[in-house]
Amino acid sequence: MRHLKTVLGLVLTAVMLFPVYWMINVSFTRDTAMRKSPPDLLPLDGTLDGYRDVLDQQLPYLGTSLVVGLGTVALTLLLAAPAAYSLAKLRPRGGGVLSFVLLIAQMIPGIIMAMGFYAIFLSTGVLNTVPGLIVADSTLAVPFAVLILTTFMSGIPEELLQAARVDGAGVVRTFVSIVLPVSRNSLITVSLFAFLWAWSDFIFASTLDQGGDHQPITLGIYHYIGNNNQEWNAIMATAVVASIPATVLLVIAQRYVAAGVTAGAVKD
Amino acid sequence: MSSAAGSRQVVGVGLAVLAAAGGLVACSPSGGDDGSTSGASQAAGGGTYTIWDPYPQYDAGSAWVKLLETCGAQAGVKVERTGYDTSDLTNKALLAAQQDNSPDVLIVDNPVVSTLAEAGVLTTTEENKLDVSSIAPNLLAAGQSGGKTYGVPIGANTLALYYNKDVLKRAGVDIAAVKDWASLTAALEKVKAAGKKGITFSAIGTEEGSFQFLPWFWGSGANLTKLDSPEGVSAVTLWSDWLKKGYAPNSVIGNTQTTSWQEFAGGEFAFAENGTWQLANAGKTGFAYGVIPIPAKDGGTAPAPTGGEFVSMPVQSDTGRYATSQKLVTCLTSGENSLTTTTTLSYVAPTEQVQARQVEQNPELKVWVEAVKAAKGRTSDDLGTKYPKISEPMWGAVQAALSGSKPPQEAMAAAQAAAASAIQ
Amino acid sequence: MQTSVRPAAATPGVRRAARGRSGQWAAWAFLAPVVLYLLVFYAYPLYRNVELSLRNYTVRSFVQGDAPFAGFGNYAKVFADATFGPALWHTVVFTLVSLAFQFTIGLALALFFSKSFRLSATLRALFLVPWLLPLIVSASTWSWMLNSDSGVVNAALGWLGIGPVNWLTSPDWALWSVIIANIWIGIPFNLVVLYSGLQAIPAAVYEAAALDGANGWQRFWRVTFPLLRPVSAITILLGLVYTLKVFDIIWIMTKGGPSGASTTFATWSYRLGFGNLVPSFGPGAAVGNLLIVMALVFGLVYIRVQRRQALT
Repeated sequence: MRHLKTVLGLVLTAVMLFPVYWMINVSFTRDTAMRKSPPDLLPLDGTLDGYRDVLDQQLPYLGTSLVVGLGTVALTLLLAAPAAYSLAKLRPRGGGVLSFVLLIAQMIPGIIMAMGFYAIFLSTGVLNTVPGLIVADSTLAVPFAVLILTTFMSGIPEELLQAARVDGAGVVRTFVSIVLPVSRNSLITVSLFAFLWAWSDFIFASTLDQGGDHQPITLGIYHYIGNNNQEWNAIMATAVVASIPATVLLVIAQRYVAAGVTAGAVKD
Repeated sequence: MSSAAGSRQVVGVGLAVLAAAGGLVACSPSGGDDGSTSGASQAAGGGTYTIWDPYPQYDAGSAWVKLLETCGAQAGVKVERTGYDTSDLTNKALLAAQQDNSPDVLIVDNPVVSTLAEAGVLTTTEENKLDVSSIAPNLLAAGQSGGKTYGVPIGANTLALYYNKDVLKRAGVDIAAVKDWASLTAALEKVKAAGKKGITFSAIGTEEGSFQFLPWFWGSGANLTKLDSPEGVSAVTLWSDWLKKGYAPNSVIGNTQTTSWQEFAGGEFAFAENGTWQLANAGKTGFAYGVIPIPAKDGGTAPAPTGGEFVSMPVQSDTGRYATSQKLVTCLTSGENSLTTTTTLSYVAPTEQVQARQVEQNPELKVWVEAVKAAKGRTSDDLGTKYPKISEPMWGAVQAALSGSKPPQEAMAAAQAAAASAIQ
Repeated sequence: MQTSVRPAAATPGVRRAARGRSGQWAAWAFLAPVVLYLLVFYAYPLYRNVELSLRNYTVRSFVQGDAPFAGFGNYAKVFADATFGPALWHTVVFTLVSLAFQFTIGLALALFFSKSFRLSATLRALFLVPWLLPLIVSASTWSWMLNSDSGVVNAALGWLGIGPVNWLTSPDWALWSVIIANIWIGIPFNLVVLYSGLQAIPAAVYEAAALDGANGWQRFWRVTFPLLRPVSAITILLGLVYTLKVFDIIWIMTKGGPSGASTTFATWSYRLGFGNLVPSFGPGAAVGNLLIVMALVFGLVYIRVQRRQALT
């Protein structure tokens, strides 16, 4: 029975990841075979040219993307976790309005946000810098993080917090030593998305960091997108290479999303 | 915008607080001042000149960037160059101009020049003292509006028909017999009968689609001011008939020029409409190929649109910078360097003198030089910024006709109505 | 947002007032960074978007900043445009169909993965890989697979004896093709958030239900689904906001074509404002603001539903 589930899981994952496989397939394909009809299912007569280009040129971009992704996660959690705690448990007057504003804030088109940031960043001197890009990318995640964390923190049993209060813990201590540990799962979930959004952001990077010394991988891809021509095997190869370290991070992070954190805490 | 000064400071403080709070300062101290070097402090310094180009495929070690640096060294300044995605560059240039952060030298696709000129972003040759006297008039026209010239073409490219010699041989087609639309269609029929594929092009719903359609549109004798003339409709009908009869694949409706080239490079297609820039790739396909000009409806060469970028000098608040920028542009576009530049970018030179030397070096370029001489700017005929408003309905009509959602006549009539109301 | 409407805890009058006041201070102290952040980073772009839509911007006045006030002229222009009706319809279809499938598939997968088995954590992580790919890559891969002539999907249909479908180039199919790609991209989001939601349901509840003799199906409808409702609601609401906004996938795959067959408000707004040689910022921003209004309406619906739930 357990094995059956594993097999089914593997099949589902394979279906889901077929487009990813296709991307890998194209990354090995020669220009002359790219539009072959019907297409080759395996890149047997492939080329490594795409990868040669990528390994020569793209590694610094990967480093920047990692820094930007992790920085975005840190900034997002720092801003969102206290806010969510407040909205979920401290009953601020006007909290509903704020949640609503957060929801609407996400509707502003990215390109308009980018144009606004351009003016702000130019005058503050953070245009074309990594911290600037981190701040911009965090706007993709902060409203989401606050809303999601609020939902999850609302589910923390009141008894747990009251017990802490009886023990004489203040609001801050309750937050740090009770709420945060109990919210581990949702914090990881939020971090995952903050990281992924920052990792795959293109619009902010292209508007705010195109002249920078340190550029993320989404801009690195533009090495292969010329004004008249695109090198698709190198573009796909970049995406493949770029997703390897990030996938490892994801697998590790997912292992920490564990069952019953809240439940266990209540029982104790 | 006007009250920005005060609010920006508030914003700045807020940003600093947040950055410090987030521990971001530790992440990357190195990039700290980059933003301002291209902006405010630029006017005071004078040592660094910024260049923006739409060639992100060339990185710091490429021949193109080295050429920029050499030109900078000759002018005694440091060059800071950024490569942008070409479809992005118009907005970047407008945004930068709005924030008074324009680059000193801006290289943009030629149909964009009239837009940026209308926005007041670019200096005229009267202001910037660039010499354009030796440039071929048909190429220069794309950068002119209202009697003023806003830049120098760095080089030109255009469209022609690549053909696969092996496929034509097998189908028994003599390329010399392909002289007009009828003979081309006949050749496609033979190719299809021989079990191969006819022709591929790009009819995507962007400017790229219009670019590829124009040789047929102009070759029919139609004029952009009247899309639904019988000639114009005949050009759309030519394409949609090819699709209907299976001479061209259905995928052309979504094809970019790169996709279309990949199809041709597969070796199954007899013809491909593509540009000068594919010449280097054509050698790598592994089959024998040739190039002919795109035929007009009743024979002769159809005027193809000119492609390629203009080097321009955006307006600066410090007009003292123009003298040095002018040296940089002249360095890129004149004499010996023009040969290097156009060879680097695989373009045809904008002056006859350099064109002759290119053909001397590479006889394959002869057909392209001829095609460029017959080519026509999209924004020429004093269309200027009216062109984009005509082009968008036009590519829409082509898509509608090819996908079968409207017959050619109806599609072009609707496009003409849309264009006419957009221009007003 | 649920909390603001919850009946306050029953504590004696005077003490409650005193604690309430200091409680408000603490509550807003925790919120202060985010409020400041919103003011700094969202207020200006939002103001810009409204201002862009109310003025008559040309490229020249965009640069000079002296566009004349146009009132609702841009909106009138947008409403009168022939694109308006089809784009609205496509937006509604795109959003609702995408949401329904993303949520259902995401929930089914979350339930599947909630029972731990060999490799379950790793496979669950792998489901997120689509999000690691820059959209230009994933959307291009989809258009590669769906290509009429050389795509693997049509090749597979061919092996099954079904004729080729012009996925991206036929007006009848283009919208469905971008919806399929969008569902694929949205599944990981739903899976991960709903999975976390399932993990937050205490195991004791299930044990009690099992003792009552409820079978798997009954347990899902009577226990899991009601307890998952807050998380489901926020997932759907956020999914809705994100789906309304989607433009890159459609833009890369079809450019909103052929001849407008897959144009939504988001791609229309982009085409007007940025996807053109001569941008029309005003109408572009107006369409963008209509999208914001749509999200606003759904947000209000969400709050109403939340309120009713809190009261019952």
